[in-house]
Amino acid sequence: MAILEEPIKGIVEVKNYIDGEWVESEGEIQDVVNPVNGEVIARVPISTKEEIDTAVEAAKVAFPDWRRTPPVARGRCLFRLKELLEANFEELSRVQTQEHGKTIDESRGETRRGIENVEVACGIPTLMQGYNSEDIVSGIDEYLIPTPLGVFGIIGPFNFPFMIPLWSAPYAVATGNCIVIKPSSEVPLSQMKIAELVDEAGFPPGVWNVVNGGRTVVNGMLDHPDIEGITFVGSTPTAKDVIYPRCGATGKRVIAQGGASNFMVIMPDCNLKATIPAMMTSFFGNAGQRCLAGQNAIIVGDDDRFYNEFINGVVDTAKKIIIGNGLDEEVQMGPVRDTEKKTKILSYISNGIEEGAKIRLDGRGDFKIKGDYPDTCFLGPTIMENVKPEMKIVTEEIFGPTMGIIRVKTLDEAIKICDDNPFHNADAIFTSSGRTAREFKYRVKSGNVGINVGIVAPMAFFPFSGMRDSFFGILHTQGKEAIRFFTESKVVIERWP
Amino acid sequence: MPLNTSASVISFAKQLEADSAGFYEKMAERYPKAAELFLTFSKENNNYTMMIQRAYYGVITDAIEGCFAFSVETDKYTFEREPAKELGHTNALNQAIDMEQKLISFYTDAAEQSKAFMADVPRTFLIVAKKRKDREDKLRMLLKET
Repeated sequence: MAILEEPIKGIVEVKNYIDGEWVESEGEIQDVVNPVNGEVIARVPISTKEEIDTAVEAAKVAFPDWRRTPPVARGRCLFRLKELLEANFEELSRVQTQEHGKTIDESRGETRRGIENVEVACGIPTLMQGYNSEDIVSGIDEYLIPTPLGVFGIIGPFNFPFMIPLWSAPYAVATGNCIVIKPSSEVPLSQMKIAELVDEAGFPPGVWNVVNGGRTVVNGMLDHPDIEGITFVGSTPTAKDVIYPRCGATGKRVIAQGGASNFMVIMPDCNLKATIPAMMTSFFGNAGQRCLAGQNAIIVGDDDRFYNEFINGVVDTAKKIIIGNGLDEEVQMGPVRDTEKKTKILSYISNGIEEGAKIRLDGRGDFKIKGDYPDTCFLGPTIMENVKPEMKIVTEEIFGPTMGIIRVKTLDEAIKICDDNPFHNADAIFTSSGRTAREFKYRVKSGNVGINVGIVAPMAFFPFSGMRDSFFGILHTQGKEAIRFFTESKVVIERWP
Repeated sequence: MPLNTSASVISFAKQLEADSAGFYEKMAERYPKAAELFLTFSKENNNYTMMIQRAYYGVITDAIEGCFAFSVETDKYTFEREPAKELGHTNALNQAIDMEQKLISFYTDAAEQSKAFMADVPRTFLIVAKKRKDREDKLRMLLKET
């Protein structure tokens, strides 16, 4: 089967999109490297404080007119954007694979999820309706009007370069706000492509801006008095120690989504035939680089026969995973994003071994790459047994293709391990018992709960939840909660004597 | 060759449909009496491709087992891309029936493998399998008339 054609040829010079124009940055330039082969595919600017200020000013100027644009008309812009995203679906997906390394199935899945958020936001005329009470006292009426606030900053991570900014952006602009997006400087091309389509869709200048860069841009957003709120997806240290407190200090609304260390609880009555592929996707999909990925499996019960069947099943299946270029449609796992991330994952595996974990499948070297690619960013799946809840490979986020195996006797113990972990992003149970599933769903303190589902990714019309060290804020991205986040509830009490 | 990912299986299905369409176009050239039927089959193949693509692009998300949904052995389902030159009409029809059976078997097997993972894709595969069964019946009727 042939390798799909690369949409990015040569080296793309990435620019900022400010006030409806493509603008060159004065900042230093950084290479964007395809992790599969080490080729430079783009050069991205690390924009200056002045440039983020210019973008915020453009958004601020655009806001009054955009706010006055009727929701149905704003919705039509989004409908046009949705059509353009569909028309460019395949190219957008391949760009993600080229800049990130994920497989084409994963990229197409990401594109679909991103578009779904635009689709939901197209319903803004009804989503944004308020409510009213007539005659709260005779002759006096009261009603609520959701109103936009102004300018919002959206800070994206490297692992879903296309989708994650779309958890916020369509809702922000649909509600009448203007936005400045800062994509991850490692993977800026997807947001550049979206901005090209935004431009084609006819959004007024200044409504949707993209400023590339790093800390200077983030700090510029956090400190800017004209930014009303920030949505951020990234690591827990940044979410917890930088974004959340700084937004608090400057009076901004905030959605700060952090990292995770998720558990897949395996009951002995689960359907193994369906559970094993779900484990592969959960632990090794996107090369483990997602905040919904399983990091540790908790096998419940004393049944050694079941335990061995499960372990042998996952090891045998993981061994056969085809690793290589994501544009090869047969490939099941791509590389990790860069060598720095690979080194970090390797150090976690070493630490796990030092703390007593036993390697059952060694992804550090025991794997083959399909095709002639350097192993610079590649890793195979790693499976470690004898993992204990207090080990670093459980209490910290690895963000790589690793699976730790913890054994417990009861469901109570499994739930306790989930709950004692500092992160609470997504936990799942695999069972054929409705009663066990309900017990888990009811008791586990996790933002996203899966039942026989390994990647608990909420649809666009549900909030993308998370708790404790996985989430800082109150309202979440996506759906109705995003509408709430991007609007203020203006209450009017009216009398006409 | 084994295929595990949704992308590779969808591409394989598209290839089978294109090859099968080409086969019927050749049949239409070679046996003008039934040309209309063969050309209809060829056109239908394009519709099947569209249905399959639509289902895949509509349902693929990062939350499902897209890279682990299948275990398709392609060798089981491959067929000759055109009717063998030395064959008479009867044998050519038998070759077409054999091809349809392989395609039915591909769609049925692939649907069974992915039914827990891919939702609309196996459902579409089964619809195509059923339509191909109808086609097989038509070919058998034609064979009887020959």
